[in-house]
Amino acid sequence: MEDNTARTYGNHIVQYVPEYSFCAGCTSCEVVCTLVHDGLVSPSYNRIFVDRDNRSMIHTVLSCQQCSDHPCFDKCPKKGQAMKIDENNIVWIDEEYCVGCGLCAKACVFTPSRINMVRSADKSKRKAKKCDMCRTRPEGPACVQWCPVRCLGTSENSVATPLGPQEKPMPKEAK
Amino acid sequence: MENRLYGYAGKIARINLTDKTVTHIPITKYVPKYIGGRSVANRIFWEEVKPGTKAFDPDNKLIYMTGPTTATGIPTGGRTVFTGISPNSYPEQYCWSGIGGWFGAELKFAGYDGFILEGKASEPTYIYIEDDRIEFLSAAPLWGMLVHPTQKKLEEIHGRGVKSIVIGPAGENLMRNASITTSNDNVAAKSGFGAVFGSKNLKAITVRGTGAIYPADIPKVFELRLKMGEPYMRPSPIIHEQTHGMDQNTIPVEGGWLRGQVACSHGCNQHCCRLMMNMKSAFSDERINQVEKCVGIFAYGFQQDCSWTPIMSFETEKNHFLPCKMLSCEMPEIDVSDPYVKELFDKVPGDTVNYWKPDFDKGSVMMDMCNEYGIDKWDVIVWYMTWFSMAKKEGLLDELDFGMEADVENEEFVKYFLDMITYRKGKYGPIFAEGMARAIRTLGKEKFGDTIYKGRFSQVIPGKRLDIPVSLETAWGHSYHWQGRGFEGSIPKPGWLATSLELMTSTRDCQTVEHHHQKYEEYLKFKDDPCHSPVLVEGVVMNQNKGELKDSVTSCEWQSPDLFWPDMEAEAFTAATGIHMTQQELDEAAERSRLLFRAILIRNFGRDREMEVNAIFPTMQYPDPWGETVSWEDWNDLVDLYYNRRGWDRKTGWPTRETYEKYGLSDVADELEALGKLP
Ligand code: SF4
Ligand code: SF4
Ligand code: SF4
Repeated sequence: MEDNTARTYGNHIVQYVPEYSFCAGCTSCEVVCTLVHDGLVSPSYNRIFVDRDNRSMIHTVLSCQQCSDHPCFDKCPKKGQAMKIDENNIVWIDEEYCVGCGLCAKACVFTPSRINMVRSADKSKRKAKKCDMCRTRPEGPACVQWCPVRCLGTSENSVATPLGPQEKPMPKEAK
Repeated sequence: MENRLYGYAGKIARINLTDKTVTHIPITKYVPKYIGGRSVANRIFWEEVKPGTKAFDPDNKLIYMTGPTTATGIPTGGRTVFTGISPNSYPEQYCWSGIGGWFGAELKFAGYDGFILEGKASEPTYIYIEDDRIEFLSAAPLWGMLVHPTQKKLEEIHGRGVKSIVIGPAGENLMRNASITTSNDNVAAKSGFGAVFGSKNLKAITVRGTGAIYPADIPKVFELRLKMGEPYMRPSPIIHEQTHGMDQNTIPVEGGWLRGQVACSHGCNQHCCRLMMNMKSAFSDERINQVEKCVGIFAYGFQQDCSWTPIMSFETEKNHFLPCKMLSCEMPEIDVSDPYVKELFDKVPGDTVNYWKPDFDKGSVMMDMCNEYGIDKWDVIVWYMTWFSMAKKEGLLDELDFGMEADVENEEFVKYFLDMITYRKGKYGPIFAEGMARAIRTLGKEKFGDTIYKGRFSQVIPGKRLDIPVSLETAWGHSYHWQGRGFEGSIPKPGWLATSLELMTSTRDCQTVEHHHQKYEEYLKFKDDPCHSPVLVEGVVMNQNKGELKDSVTSCEWQSPDLFWPDMEAEAFTAATGIHMTQQELDEAAERSRLLFRAILIRNFGRDREMEVNAIFPTMQYPDPWGETVSWEDWNDLVDLYYNRRGWDRKTGWPTRETYEKYGLSDVADELEALGKLP
């Protein structure tokens, strides 16, 4: 796994520690993300990922950390058009110009990649999907708004202690 | 705009295990007339499975269906259903079994609303579905594996993120209580369909879908997300509990235990299931997490039956809440301005039964074994174990040599017994693997089933001993559930008459999908003479139709029916599909589905009035906590009222031609007429 300790991040989605609120694994965050952006529900479109653990039933929520040095953006052959950086340093995808090459997804420094790819036989439908913090939504991030147990927040405005980006939310043993 | 199908994925896969072939049926062959889910499955079963077919025959078809709301973001839509001939029902009959998890949604992403499993594989097989591709793969490396290791192995083979439904050794060995398990310990258990998987040499189905589902009305989806079940929308931390259980079954837990709340299904807005963390495992020293729903509570200690509070069944506009709120401990505050508030919250304590003393670790081990072997927990807790407890106290076990002292308070015996029935070991393993109803008959029902247990005492009439048989059998080879006696028995007569009527016309314990709910004001109208009340019958019909819709639209037992929002399901259906459906139209579709179910029972399983009245009546002859039973005359009067309301002939219990035609099923009437099964 990459060493990202030196990396700095912009405002991004965080999952809180289970002592504050425990992820129910309901996948509402994945669902609302695609509903507000794409008008559908699909695991190829969501920009937030509930990494399910079938055995422990403790689930980790993964999404783009909004790296300040944005390696994904740097690899985009159409950067400036397909990938853009807004005034808050959020890298966002302008799908009209995205050619679906997948180079940004490959360049993401996290495993699994935080950029989702829509695969399609129809080339014009192949697009990258990356968290843009719901930048155009007046209500802010949809996943945060609709998580039924409020276990998600934004790093700049977090109300509880967030888990680190790769930390498993395993609670300490009771006994 | 593309000519798009909203809500549905578009097709049903017919998967033939004998020939290893797959064909497709467009979902529009069945919908919207048959809504989706169980309703579609009923139609398919009616068209395809002949009378005389047995549960383990290759000709038995296991039909799995999602609903139009599955994977649309509408809460509770993640619930899905299996139907087929149940090996656990006594006698074998057509049954259904609901299951949550993420599997159904993933199947829709792969492009299927459901599948029909038919035939039998020549060797252990599992099915891998990835979008258009459906493969039949050798299950040789998986056969014999426990449930969680099977799921893990499938993730190793096909990648993290695949969703699976699997059976454990119980299903492989055709144990009639075997379950099918998916994520978060969600199971289809009650109908024993895990054994049907086993009979088809099918270990698992794994799916990966990359496609999309389009809800028709997204703003409405969001509105439903805010309104259905009044979602908590507050943090739900892990709680360090000091005790476990409820009422007299509350037990202190040394060092405490950790409770988290998890959702049962894809995209839901609730978190009804309890995740019990760091629990004792039956298989290793490693601590495990496991999911608990209501009945699991009794595994840990069972000295007193469940209590009952009127609000659980009879509600007012001011005081009503969803059952899911109880398990997550998030009940709303009581509205004391309600004129009925005192009556609504007047708790009826459960009978003292003294089945086993509290033992937190033993309970955990019992649950873990059910989870890993893939056995229906319900029958283990409510029936097998209570039978051992009662039969032993009545001296019935003296002559049965199990190879170890039968002691339900001994963890080692619990392990020994569950191992024995899963692997059909020794003399009694094969007998009890047939399920309790069949096992008791093999041993001799009069003695081993009907002997009275003398340890049941009412707490309504303190000190009063009440008769109950050592085998808690109710109709159709299932155990009592919310029926005035046995498990969850503290509901008074008007309530248990309603639930018994629901059970009589079903094929399995239906209180998991038709927990009786009715308005308190209606209850006041029938409480004094329930057997002659059309109001009670109307309540039964409403709950049954809602049950049909729960498995068809889909919705769930914990959010529906909402008595004060009767068109919730219609709104959800319309938001998902874009097909406008009023509550009345949807109710008619539920009646149609119910009629098909009835027609299947009549054609394939010889159902008539005599059969069902004889199945249910004896179960109500043991006293309820107040000492009440029902007379033959009163019960038959109630059955008359019910048949009349349904448009069924009173003498035979068969629906009339007019009734079938009213719901667009004249072809069904024709076929039944040719068989002489139309009144
Ligand atoms: S997509 Fe990956 S590389 Fe790009 S900003 Fe997000 S986390 Fe960093
Ligand atoms: S902030 Fe918006 S885009 Fe990012 S994961 Fe949440 S819903 Fe999706
Ligand atoms: S919406 Fe919240 S509780 Fe549900 S899966 Fe996402 S983070 Fe977990």
